[in-house]
Amino acid sequence: MVRLSDLHEVEQEHMRLRISEWKPVEKAPWITPKPLKEARVAIISTAGLHRRTDTPFVFGAVDYRLIPGDVDFKDVVVSHVSANFDRTGFQQDPNIWFPLDRLREMQSSGEIGGVAKWHYSFMGAQPNHVALQAAGEEVGRLLAADEVDIALLIPV
Amino acid sequence: MATTSISLIREQSQAVIPPRALWVPFPLGRPLGAADDRVFQRKVLRSAFRLLETANFPTIEDFPEEAPFQKESEAWACPVSFPVIESEEIDFRLRDEINRLLPWSLETRLARGRSLFGVSGADSDQIAEVVDAVLHIVETGEVLQLPPSKIEWRFEMPLLIRHLADDLRTFYHEALAAQPGEGAPSHKAFNDFIFGGTALGDAFQSLAERLTEEGSPMSLITRGFVLPEGYYKGGSAFPTPSELRERGFALK
Repeated sequence: MVRLSDLHEVEQEHMRLRISEWKPVEKAPWITPKPLKEARVAIISTAGLHRRTDTPFVFGAVDYRLIPGDVDFKDVVVSHVSANFDRTGFQQDPNIWFPLDRLREMQSSGEIGGVAKWHYSFMGAQPNHVALQAAGEEVGRLLAADEVDIALLIPV
Repeated sequence: MATTSISLIREQSQAVIPPRALWVPFPLGRPLGAADDRVFQRKVLRSAFRLLETANFPTIEDFPEEAPFQKESEAWACPVSFPVIESEEIDFRLRDEINRLLPWSLETRLARGRSLFGVSGADSDQIAEVVDAVLHIVETGEVLQLPPSKIEWRFEMPLLIRHLADDLRTFYHEALAAQPGEGAPSHKAFNDFIFGGTALGDAFQSLAERLTEEGSPMSLITRGFVLPEGYYKGGSAFPTPSELRERGFALK
């Protein structure tokens, strides 16, 4: 398990400092989505994932990469800068970070209405949330145009 | 649209207050808990999706289960050992380790049909060139100039050093995953192995020293991306805020 207190003391201190600077996200109207079995789902990851042919992320990146809904995991790599999280699970099974296969299965079984045509990946370890605002709003518009009902946000 | 999220560090979600967050008691790097366990992964996803039906205001819910025991546990022990002869130079030792591991790494790539190797810009068969680049940096201390190579590097220096290190780490982990025994090592077991006497661990320590010697903020930050916290012989791998301030750099 991981709580702040489980991390190395340097990481703990770093994260506590960051957290102390964060503010709650701006309140927005509460949205109740359509029933799950009718809802179209997209994944938003902060694992620094991208296709091998894409430009890799650099430290402090505030842009994003597209991950097509029909992507083959053979084409997906990671350029997240941190050395402090476990990549071994992802090497074994990409769904542990980016559960596209699970969403496809849930669509087939009728649990969710559908899987988005496009999913999005950001570089994590970004302490300045405001810096991500422009890209975040852009992705929001793209998700809306893709008729996505639910954005599933997954950290790493 | 509505959002639901997975949270790995509860305190972060408490600070940000997203509409819906499922806090999961899993290690960093394992947000769905378990690799190759579709039943458990679906359970996590269903819990995150359930919040869309139950929450009427910003909610952080705790997932009640630990991740199931993984074969690649902390108890992992490497079935191969590399002979360490004090008089041998790092370049000989590192190339020797790579040669011993190469067939195992290829087995894993064949079995998985994919690899994370090559983010630095190297092709799948250019492990030797990656090693050459790392040894060049170790030997010359040039952490701001791209190492000479036929590879078209995809990063500037010093950040490239981080991705050279990661390509090597990927190669080693792939090799260990194929070997008979207890499966692939966990993050901690893998780092304990790498920094417990391998030439790769020694090469990483040397890269860290070179970055420290250069001393610019980006070099010190890159050091923190090469070595996981707790493994740098010189102390904190990531520079402290005061170290960065002394150099006129503030993390924004």
